[in-house]
Amino acid sequence: MLNLLHGELYRLLHKRSMYIYFALLAVGYALIVFVRSGGFMPESLVDDAISAFAFLPVVVGGFFFAALYTDDLSAKNLISLVGFGINKTKIVIAKFILVALLNGIVFVIAPVFHGALYALFGQGVSGEALSLLYADVLKLFLMTAAFSALAGILVYGLQRPTIALVAYVLLAFNVVSGLIATLLNMVDPLLKSHLIPGITDNILMGLISGNSFVYPAAEYFVYVALVLVASAFVFTKKEMEF
Amino acid sequence: MTRVVLQTHALSKKYGSHFALNKVSLTLNQGDIYGLVGRNGAGKTTLFKCIMGLAKPSGGKIIINGEEENLNAVRSQMGFMINPSFFPYLNPKENLEYLCRIKGLTAKNEVSRLLKLVELEGVKKPYKAFSLGMKQRLGIAAALLGSPSLVVLDEPINGLDPQGIIDMRAVIKNVHEQTGATLIISSHILSELDLVATQFGFIEQGVLLQEISHKDLHEQTKNSLHIEVDDVEKTQAALRVLGVRNPLVEGNRIILQSHLDQSHKLARVFVSSGVEVYDLHRKETTLEEYFMRLVGGVQNA
Repeated sequence: MLNLLHGELYRLLHKRSMYIYFALLAVGYALIVFVRSGGFMPESLVDDAISAFAFLPVVVGGFFFAALYTDDLSAKNLISLVGFGINKTKIVIAKFILVALLNGIVFVIAPVFHGALYALFGQGVSGEALSLLYADVLKLFLMTAAFSALAGILVYGLQRPTIALVAYVLLAFNVVSGLIATLLNMVDPLLKSHLIPGITDNILMGLISGNSFVYPAAEYFVYVALVLVASAFVFTKKEMEF
Repeated sequence: MTRVVLQTHALSKKYGSHFALNKVSLTLNQGDIYGLVGRNGAGKTTLFKCIMGLAKPSGGKIIINGEEENLNAVRSQMGFMINPSFFPYLNPKENLEYLCRIKGLTAKNEVSRLLKLVELEGVKKPYKAFSLGMKQRLGIAAALLGSPSLVVLDEPINGLDPQGIIDMRAVIKNVHEQTGATLIISSHILSELDLVATQFGFIEQGVLLQEISHKDLHEQTKNSLHIEVDDVEKTQAALRVLGVRNPLVEGNRIILQSHLDQSHKLARVFVSSGVEVYDLHRKETTLEEYFMRLVGGVQNA
């Protein structure tokens, strides 16, 4: 598995478009926040960040999902990995670790980058504001990781890059959870709190209020673990598409 | 004693009611270059997919290097090329470096050695800008990473121009000579495989029709003299004068594997013996004819 992680990191770090993409994203982000806050005003620091960060699952998570999962399908690399005798379950786990790791790095940098933009214009960032941003980013990170794992089932099951990517984007825009929540509302409104956005909301609430978030955190990990088990099962049953 | 590297026993693969492979039993000995010959859709790629674990057999057994249970462990020491495809944004060196890491290879000069072998050394352009020939050559290089003892190559000359075919042949021969690797190569171009293979397997409609050595194949396809006569017995008697005993007889036709350059002598003997000769000609069975005769057996079955 370490070899697989090593190799995947190598090829990702040699993907030149990644550097261009994130450079453009940083510039675009700075411009949007500047325009939105009316020139980096301290009172809008947290609100601006929370509004802008809401797109991270799509723009950052989507990029890494495409780079790690759908690139593999387009390049028929899964065939090479399986042909080299790498266990399919190991592939599923390694991909998830990587997608979590890479998103994690960007999500950790995001609040610092946001604060640095304000600092550049002479606006200090309080520890409290930064804590709030990190709590928000943690929720978004957990959502991104879970959505990647969920869309991963389609990657391994259908082995069609476009379908998998569209599914990820629909999940990241909360289209899927929105639809399911509407249906669940008709049965019992409390059920929607057991969807990924609801679970991560509960974790966030626990973090902010200082209450225990052990239950939603456990629910989250069980959820992701089950999704990974389902992915591995689907992948093991599915033959490689050429 | 020759060591068996790869064996399949009654290997079958079914898609719905269609048998893509039907009880295929083949044997590869160490050091063989095994040419798997079959037309498009004969089952060559399916067989390779099963061997590499990319398709699940419906029945039968695969034994690689004596291992039957944990095939993934032995597959990690194999090389293969089936529809080569790489990351489009990486250049050849980066694509091979990636695979080196995946395979856990640490040999420093492995990538440059292979790129040199397939004449892609110094190529900086990304894979997406490659010609078909370059893609095939990179596929070969990837299959040879880590000097595997068993290499599976599916249609390595497919789509190559004449020069590309010559180059690919040289690469395959080089690899075999330098590493002693056992290779199994599929193609529908028998004449091309004939130039490299030491052993052949003919496959049609998922059935392995025959396994034959290069020597035996040529023994069966060598030149012969076809003589059509009025009286076979009288002709056989005449032939005995020339030292020919028990020639092959098909109806009123006699087929000789000897005296190929002595038709004048034969004609003289036949005339003096009162044999009427209707036709006398030299015939060579080409490898393609041989293959088509085999395949015809299946088609007409």
